[in-house]
Amino acid sequence: MTAELIAPDRWRDAVAARVAIGARFAGAWATRHGDAPAWRAAFATSAGGTTTLTCPAADGRVPTIVDLLPAADWDEREAHDLYGLAFEGHEPLRALVTHTDDPELWMTPVQGDGVHEIAVGPIHAGVIESGHFRFHVVGERILAMDPRLFYKHRGLERAAEGRTLQEALAYAQRACAACAVTNTVAYAQAVEEALGLWPDRDLRAARTLLLELERLYNHLNDIGAVCAGVGFAPGAMAFAALKDRAQQLNLRLAGHRFLFGTIAVGGGALTLDAAAADRVRQELRELRDDTATSWRSLEFTGSVHARLEGVGVLGAADATFVGACGPAARAAGVRADVRSDSPRLAYEDFTPAAPRQPTGDVAARLDLRASELQSTCEILDELLARPVAAGTASTSHEPRANGIALVESPRGATLAAVELDGDRVARLHLRTGSYANWPALAHATAGNLLPDFPLINKSFELCYACVDR
Amino acid sequence: MFVLLRQLARIRRDAHLDRAHRPRSLALRHVDAGSCNGCEHELALATSPRYDLQRFGLDIVASPRHADVLLVTGPVTTRMASALRTAYDAMPEPRLVAALGDCSLGCNILGDSTELIGALHDVLPVDIRIPGCPPTPEAIAQHLLAALDSNEHGR
Repeated sequence: MTAELIAPDRWRDAVAARVAIGARFAGAWATRHGDAPAWRAAFATSAGGTTTLTCPAADGRVPTIVDLLPAADWDEREAHDLYGLAFEGHEPLRALVTHTDDPELWMTPVQGDGVHEIAVGPIHAGVIESGHFRFHVVGERILAMDPRLFYKHRGLERAAEGRTLQEALAYAQRACAACAVTNTVAYAQAVEEALGLWPDRDLRAARTLLLELERLYNHLNDIGAVCAGVGFAPGAMAFAALKDRAQQLNLRLAGHRFLFGTIAVGGGALTLDAAAADRVRQELRELRDDTATSWRSLEFTGSVHARLEGVGVLGAADATFVGACGPAARAAGVRADVRSDSPRLAYEDFTPAAPRQPTGDVAARLDLRASELQSTCEILDELLARPVAAGTASTSHEPRANGIALVESPRGATLAAVELDGDRVARLHLRTGSYANWPALAHATAGNLLPDFPLINKSFELCYACVDR
Repeated sequence: MFVLLRQLARIRRDAHLDRAHRPRSLALRHVDAGSCNGCEHELALATSPRYDLQRFGLDIVASPRHADVLLVTGPVTTRMASALRTAYDAMPEPRLVAALGDCSLGCNILGDSTELIGALHDVLPVDIRIPGCPPTPEAIAQHLLAALDSNEHGR
């Protein structure tokens, strides 16, 4: 990790230079430089390295980078709403976290013959998290969609400030149950980066095992969700039952269906002797085989596939433009997966999955998840061929005041940034795969029919909880 | 599809849930008042084949106007409080409120107090308490069945 301090008048040039060499934007957040407010952006380079650029904002003003990096749109809006930073040139700077009654302050204006708005949420019809969508439609055709989230904003990041390193982990964990392992591994790695620690082989393997177990039940859930999105009950129920089996396995393995409490800073909590690891391995093989059978059956259900193709298209250029990541980007043919560059985890020789056709539609996102399930099962099978030990982390470099880490969640690249004040957390920032992908979902929705939105939404299956925090 | 149906037919409802003597029904409406999504995942699974809440006359309905029970998850955030109250006000009487999960029960709430109202009982009268972080699908089903058994209105 490298860090540079950039004066405001050089800020845009410095960011443009990073973009020009192909560094990937990983997130930006309000922080402090000495006693003054500051704005910090993180970039990932292809070799697994990370770099942060910090721009002091003594008067609370920073030049915008949203024209250079559209993916930073939500980051700037959030920092404005929660930390009062002003972004010069970001016009109009619409409200994101702040909820205002005046639609002009947060919505894209859409005008013309026959245009009307449809408001959905924050409470939805099914068992779904809370959030609001404003559709601008002509007839059944969606012209644009503005998501308004942050109904579930709990102030977790601010609440973590001043806590000990171990206490603050609970805040990262409770940000989102479905990404709890990813978020806590990212947090632990960011803290270890700051403390100058490097995980040993056992700890890398144990964390990778837990991350893939999280991906397993999430991907099973998400395939079932697409079936539910088209009203195909046999598929929805079959994959719900498979997901339940994966979570029962989590419970037996780690004492919790969502693997809460399995990640710690500087060490691990999960151990399995050779016999236990082998039992889990056999159970996972049965689950893998049943999943393959269900998937094959789903693949040959033509009436389902007829509803998926060409719906909710996010092309490769658009995916890169809006900063999409995870399955959403890979289904569009963008071969980006943080697992390829994760020296702190046990992903040796990892190759990102590719869909058979990178069409970027609902069908491609479904297909991609199915193929990722296979690689997840292979990784788990290999990791469980030997006993699982808790592992530890040992000193590798000089400690510093802050650390960042990137981990691939079931929904994409998740950034954790931690800034320390002695043995306490001074700032915690989580930018999850879902956060990066909500603007991509809005983009993929435009031009589609309104009744297809639930299906498109399900094919991204983004969290609200870890976005709202 | 027939393969899927055959697979589903093999799933045993081996959760410890007894169907005997339960002729009544309750319609459930869920509201997420700020949860971490764990309770939502488990509630959704309570309607999956292994638990199959519907066979007891318990089903999740789309509108609070059709609901007997408001199932609320999460600590109540300041931004969800008014939507939650609107949903409650839309319900016909008699009505029940269930606090689903430790956050809604006011235990172990994480977050900035200025963004949270607090436990569900600070906002609405709570009749059914379902502890857990999150409660398992089986625990959710058991508490709802107990409510079904004891609820004189659940017809």
